[in-house]
Amino acid sequence: MFDMIGSIFRNLSSKPATRKYPFEKRPAFKNARGQISGIDIDQCIFCGICQRKCPADALKVTKAEKSWEIDQFRCVICGACVEVCPKKCIKMDDEYKTSAYTKETYKAVQKTATEPQAAKEA
Amino acid sequence: MIENAFDISKELLHVEVEDSKINGYRFVTATCVDLGDGTFDVIYHFDKDLELKNLRVNVKKEDELPSISNIYFSAILVENEMKELFGLNIKNIAIDYGGHMLLSDEELDAPMAKQQIVIEQRKGDK
Amino acid sequence: MGKSGKQNKSAKTVIPFGPQHPVLPEPLHLKLVMEDEIIVEAIPAIGYVHRGLEKLTEIKEFTQNVFIVERICGICSVMHAQAYCQGIETLMNIQIPDRAKYLRVIWAELHRIHSHLLWLGLLADAFGFESLFMQVWRNREKVMDIMEETAGGRVIISVNTIGGTRRDMSPEALRKVAVIADEIKEDMKQLEKVFMADYTVKHRLVGVGVLEPDLAYEFGAVGPMARASGIKQDLRTTGYAAYGELDFEPVIETGCDSYARTMVRLREVYQSVDLIKQAIDKIPDGEISVPVKGMPNGEVISRVEQPRGEVLYYLKANGTKNLERLRIRTPTFANIPTLLKMLPGSELADVPILILTIDPCISCTER
Repeated sequence: MFDMIGSIFRNLSSKPATRKYPFEKRPAFKNARGQISGIDIDQCIFCGICQRKCPADALKVTKAEKSWEIDQFRCVICGACVEVCPKKCIKMDDEYKTSAYTKETYKAVQKTATEPQAAKEA
Repeated sequence: MIENAFDISKELLHVEVEDSKINGYRFVTATCVDLGDGTFDVIYHFDKDLELKNLRVNVKKEDELPSISNIYFSAILVENEMKELFGLNIKNIAIDYGGHMLLSDEELDAPMAKQQIVIEQRKGDK
Repeated sequence: MGKSGKQNKSAKTVIPFGPQHPVLPEPLHLKLVMEDEIIVEAIPAIGYVHRGLEKLTEIKEFTQNVFIVERICGICSVMHAQAYCQGIETLMNIQIPDRAKYLRVIWAELHRIHSHLLWLGLLADAFGFESLFMQVWRNREKVMDIMEETAGGRVIISVNTIGGTRRDMSPEALRKVAVIADEIKEDMKQLEKVFMADYTVKHRLVGVGVLEPDLAYEFGAVGPMARASGIKQDLRTTGYAAYGELDFEPVIETGCDSYARTMVRLREVYQSVDLIKQAIDKIPDGEISVPVKGMPNGEVISRVEQPRGEVLYYLKANGTKNLERLRIRTPTFANIPTLLKMLPGSELADVPILILTIDPCISCTER
């Protein structure tokens, strides 16, 4: 027990080991798998490989209307879609996603003219 | 193919398992595979000095399989699980949960066996 | 019953050791039949977290199954993926590069350290020693941070894939892993004195839950349960992944009680630190994965040593992209019958300690 007393005094006199969380956040590590933040919709060729490889069935690609959609609540952030995309246009962010108030999917549609358009649908 | 596998009939199962116990084998687990044509393949795995020995028994769905839990007590959990999930007919397990160890009352019987499910849709439902 | 004498009329009560209990990390139900504080019989009931994952693996493709299999358990997740990938690689005759074998060993040993530190903390919490619990878990945070930095996730790290690993470790990352492993060893050496030599801790652990060696072998005990009773059984000596080229001996104790099991797990933390440093010294350069072509066909059994014991994977494939059968036998499944042997004859206050010494991982048991 007396070995613990030395450890306890050392803990009392040094600065706390925990962070004051809402005021001081830890910067995320560089290669961490946080969330799938989006897609560079101009590069996408709508091949559908990411939809076939997803283990949680969270992606939906429709070639007819040129859209790519992800259901963020089904995604398990494994990173398989990022690896198999032939054009490498899916982006993974390193901040972990926070909870949301409504269930919405992120949908991106490519227009046949010049610029793309990202629309959120409930 | 898996190494060291022997095909035996279910009458010789008890004799072979007693023989393994006398020779110092440790019971690892048992696996059940649904072959799709009404028969099941039950494979018992034993181990001694980190080398496996496997005994394979082929049974039909209605056949009775004797339990080995009077020779190896640690087989009770695995035999209860096979009885519930596949619908095998295993007799005289030392502690028998009667079909309620893993599944609850509202679920399907024998969910892991390959079976056809017919869903009726009546008029007036969504 | 109760006809032979006046003192045979003690009443039997049944106390449920419920699915929710502050000591248990996962739900397990035991019905304890007791006579005045001594337990006469114990009947287990499991099935609270059955998810049907074996059926799900028959529906998904064999490349997607890696992600399903590693989510069976959070504490031993990377070794489930390792056993599955080794089985498929044997079926398809794929030889993985040497650097991938060493990387798999490093991540597996880090996982073993974090699992044993989690268990040591829970044991200290079970007999009420909360400050020791917090000290041990502070060391575990270092392991979780280094896993997030090198592999991308804290608990489910998803680095194993069929044909090798998905990520590589640069030389600075390897040096950082070695530094952190040394720090953990220094901290645990100081806490070892509290675990091993403290009077109250010894009073609760020595002589509690004795399991003789021949009973342990007969009931099929695996992992640290068997090694604390003197049985020399460690699957890593068969030499899968890169273990054949590393130099180690299984950790054996002969005490057969809870104190011996605590000693085994504490010494395995030191052994893992030593294995990590050996692997970092010997790791060769090269590729980290090979491409996979074709479909698996046939049946195979692959076994790996998890922190809790020996896990067995039986895979059967028939040439299409879905597997026909995947059967997993986890180590806690084999250790539960030994619990039924240790409980009769002990007192009610020792029941939480006894359940914790088998290291119950119930979500592995009923996948």
